[in-house]
Amino acid sequence: MSISDATTAVNEELASRDDMIECVGVDKWYGDFQALKGVTATIKEREVVVVLGPSGSGKSTWIRCINRLEQHQGGQIIVDGVELTNDVRNIEKIRSEVGMVFQQFNLFPHLTVIDNVTLAPKWVRKMPKDEAEDKAMELLTQMGIPEQAQKFPGQLSGGQQQRVAIARALAMEPRVMLFDEPTSALDPEMIKEVLDVMKDLANSGMTMIVVTHEMGFAREVADRIIFMESGEIVEVGTPEHFFTNPTEDRTKLFLSQIL
Amino acid sequence: MTNAFETIPMRVVAEEDLGKPDLPPEEPSLPPGEWLKKNLFSSVGNTILTILVGALLFWAFRGLLDFAFNNAERDWTSVAANMRLFLTFAYPVDQYVRVWVSLAILLSLGGFSFALTRNIGGITLRRIATWFFTTGALVLAATLLVKGPLERDADGVLIFNEENEAIRNAVVWADRSIWFIVAAALFAIAAAIWFGFGDRRRFIFIPTHYVLYAMFGAAVLSLFVVKYGHYGLREADGALVPVMEPDSLVARSTRIPWLVMWVVTGVAYFVGTLLRSRGWFKGLTGLSWLLAPPFIMWVILRDPSFDWAHVWSTDIPMFAAFAIGGGAILFWLSKPDLGEIGRIIAFGLGIVAFLSFLSGALGWMSMLQKARISFVLLAMFALVAHNFAGDRSARLRFVGAWIATIAIVHYFVTAINTPSTLQGIQSDTFLGGFLFTLFAAFVGLVVSFPLGAILALARTSKFPIFRILATTFIEVVRGIPFITVLFFFSIMLPLFLPEGMEVGEIAGVLIGLVLFSAAYMAENIRGGLQSIRRGQFEAADAIGLTPTQRTGLIVMPQALRVSIPPLVGQAISTYKETSLFAIIGIFDFLRIANNVIPNQSTPINFVGHKREGLLFVSLIYFIGSYAMSKYSQKLEKDLGVGTR
Ligand SMILES: Nc1ncnc2c1ncn2[C@@H]1O[C@H](COP(=O)(O)OP(=O)(O)OP(=O)(O)O)[C@@H](O)[C@H]1O
Ligand SMILES: [Mg+2]
Repeated sequence: MSISDATTAVNEELASRDDMIECVGVDKWYGDFQALKGVTATIKEREVVVVLGPSGSGKSTWIRCINRLEQHQGGQIIVDGVELTNDVRNIEKIRSEVGMVFQQFNLFPHLTVIDNVTLAPKWVRKMPKDEAEDKAMELLTQMGIPEQAQKFPGQLSGGQQQRVAIARALAMEPRVMLFDEPTSALDPEMIKEVLDVMKDLANSGMTMIVVTHEMGFAREVADRIIFMESGEIVEVGTPEHFFTNPTEDRTKLFLSQIL
Repeated sequence: MTNAFETIPMRVVAEEDLGKPDLPPEEPSLPPGEWLKKNLFSSVGNTILTILVGALLFWAFRGLLDFAFNNAERDWTSVAANMRLFLTFAYPVDQYVRVWVSLAILLSLGGFSFALTRNIGGITLRRIATWFFTTGALVLAATLLVKGPLERDADGVLIFNEENEAIRNAVVWADRSIWFIVAAALFAIAAAIWFGFGDRRRFIFIPTHYVLYAMFGAAVLSLFVVKYGHYGLREADGALVPVMEPDSLVARSTRIPWLVMWVVTGVAYFVGTLLRSRGWFKGLTGLSWLLAPPFIMWVILRDPSFDWAHVWSTDIPMFAAFAIGGGAILFWLSKPDLGEIGRIIAFGLGIVAFLSFLSGALGWMSMLQKARISFVLLAMFALVAHNFAGDRSARLRFVGAWIATIAIVHYFVTAINTPSTLQGIQSDTFLGGFLFTLFAAFVGLVVSFPLGAILALARTSKFPIFRILATTFIEVVRGIPFITVLFFFSIMLPLFLPEGMEVGEIAGVLIGLVLFSAAYMAENIRGGLQSIRRGQFEAADAIGLTPTQRTGLIVMPQALRVSIPPLVGQAISTYKETSLFAIIGIFDFLRIANNVIPNQSTPINFVGHKREGLLFVSLIYFIGSYAMSKYSQKLEKDLGVGTR
């Protein structure tokens, strides 16, 4: 089977799934500066998409528009059938279905690990305390850090903190997970532990959009790779296509610089 | 739940943990000679400095002692004999039991709270031994340095000559023997702890609770041993005659209640330790603290004699209307999935509340103040209602909280507007002394803190109207001296109030104190708010918290932690600013020292004795401020400001 056949096969299989996120011509300005220029992309259920691109290309801006941390000014973003508008109800609904993991972890430093994880289930989902804690312990075990439950974030290593952050996002049982450079602030020896957790998550069928510079991860886990530059999506394709046979010059240039 | 949640690390080191291997060894103490050399005389410059500073300290200490204890000039009886005035001013003696009951309530709550804070920490025996040693050294130094009394000639004129000075400067062993014994006893205790426990002194922690309780106990027990003097009134032949016995113990009616207070505190602590693992106990204690101020107000002032006709015709119907009507609105507003319409209604209520205040201020509608306040409260509840959306029982609990809140507020407003009927006295002028200082500081802090937090949030809000209002208020208040605010609230406020509403002078100045302190608190909290990184807001949004939850659960707790040092500074200022009440004629603590005692000529002549009282007042202010400052240091350490 040639690469293009494989790509076609993957695309066909993907096409048969339901849409999870649909972006149509999304524009975003910061003052006079246009950070997103008509970004159009569709992410299917259970799909893992890795977003690559040089610094300042709008990767973060795009995924932050998906859970409304940034407000887009043009085009449409539809998450799980709900369009993001100024309607507070839609925003709340989408935020509770979309989990996000940040480069700087952003754990709540005044709460213990277990409280970080149970906060949203208790307050947003109105889950009873015991149930929320059982669930949190389950997630922390899955992340390999059940023994850290009573510590404060400041007492953990970077890798452990990022895994707590993943558990915190998963505690809301999101349908989509967004990762914005989750390993960029980590020491090299901790990157693997976080990537492993993300791989498990991908294998379990979670829909994921991952902004990362980890090419190994992209190659191994991604269903599709989206390459962005200057606020535009330049090229979309399977990892095989992207790493061995990119069509766009800008993609080739980018790859030649990083590989 | 699994046990993993119960393994909270305790910081109190029990005796079994002695000799923990991970503690660094005690720094070997240098022989005294070398210690002096290393710390004080390491170079020529340092030697000169040491000598200069030492001489300065000696001079200042001796001057202070002379000032405070020069027997011919000072008469500390003026303080001892007026202790009742200092503490409770004109509170009727036959109703003192109310003050004691109030104190017992506060101390019991304190005992419960101490029992609830398990890891309050401990003080090593080494530290305690050092305290005893330092105190002993201070007593010894003071005893050696204090000068003898000034001599007067037959006409009462002070005699200044060399011979007299020599006598004054000499240590008079016989006069001071008791103090040498005290110092020796303190040294002996220090030595017993230091050498008796050997190396273990560093590892045995006495929980701070016990140390505080022992200090309280020592002070109480000293009433039974030390002859502080007995001053008061005694009934004889149907009249009250003054009692003056400088060489006896304090009155039994003082000794026994204090002993009871000490026991009550200990019992409360013990009961607290038995109950602290019960889930409801913590909540109940917190609630009791909140209810304590109105309850104590009730105990101290007794139930005012309400105008029952007015109560039945106006107060009760109004309460019922707000309880039932407001409750129904809130029950509906906390319906899950109500959405946008709920916010619109809540906002509308806010506007109604605002307009009702405006109309009152402009004199359009002489609506009762209570109705206005209730509208504001209702709007605030409505704005947060969607956070309490849930099943029926959760919503009913929310409505219950509403009814409880307005019940308390309505009671308060009615009570404040009705003069007290403490037996025999028909105004609030019997309140004063330290009782009033404490009361004002307590009310001032408890009320101004939440108000300050709201102002800080409003000032950082993205709604311009809130921002402008809060900024204007804060800047105006901060641009006015406190004393002006006090004059305004004591004299001018009554002129501005709509007809039919009156505010007692004390209530008026308390409102002034609250508003003033709130403006400063707001600025401190705002500093904390600005230190919260953007990532915290984004993370809170990303997990789906509403803006109110984000503020209450994530932003405020962190901001308050950062603001602890300036907030405690503000609390200390507020506590001390209550002394300015003296200027507008309230008989607070300071005014008694400054104006009342120096003009007393019967039963003992204290005319002109101002300094003793002022020193005493300073000491009490210092103790209160120092305790707050210490507590904040502990709080900072516990909350790990700057480390987590
Ligand atoms: N708040 C802001 N105000 C103004 N400009 C912004 C803001 N945030 C981002 N930008 C600009 O938008 C562009 C896209 O930023 P973005 O953070 O999305 O890039 P990125 O692809 O995530 O880059 P990196 O790999 O460095 O994280 C950049 O040029 C950036 O300077
Ligand atoms: Mg980025």
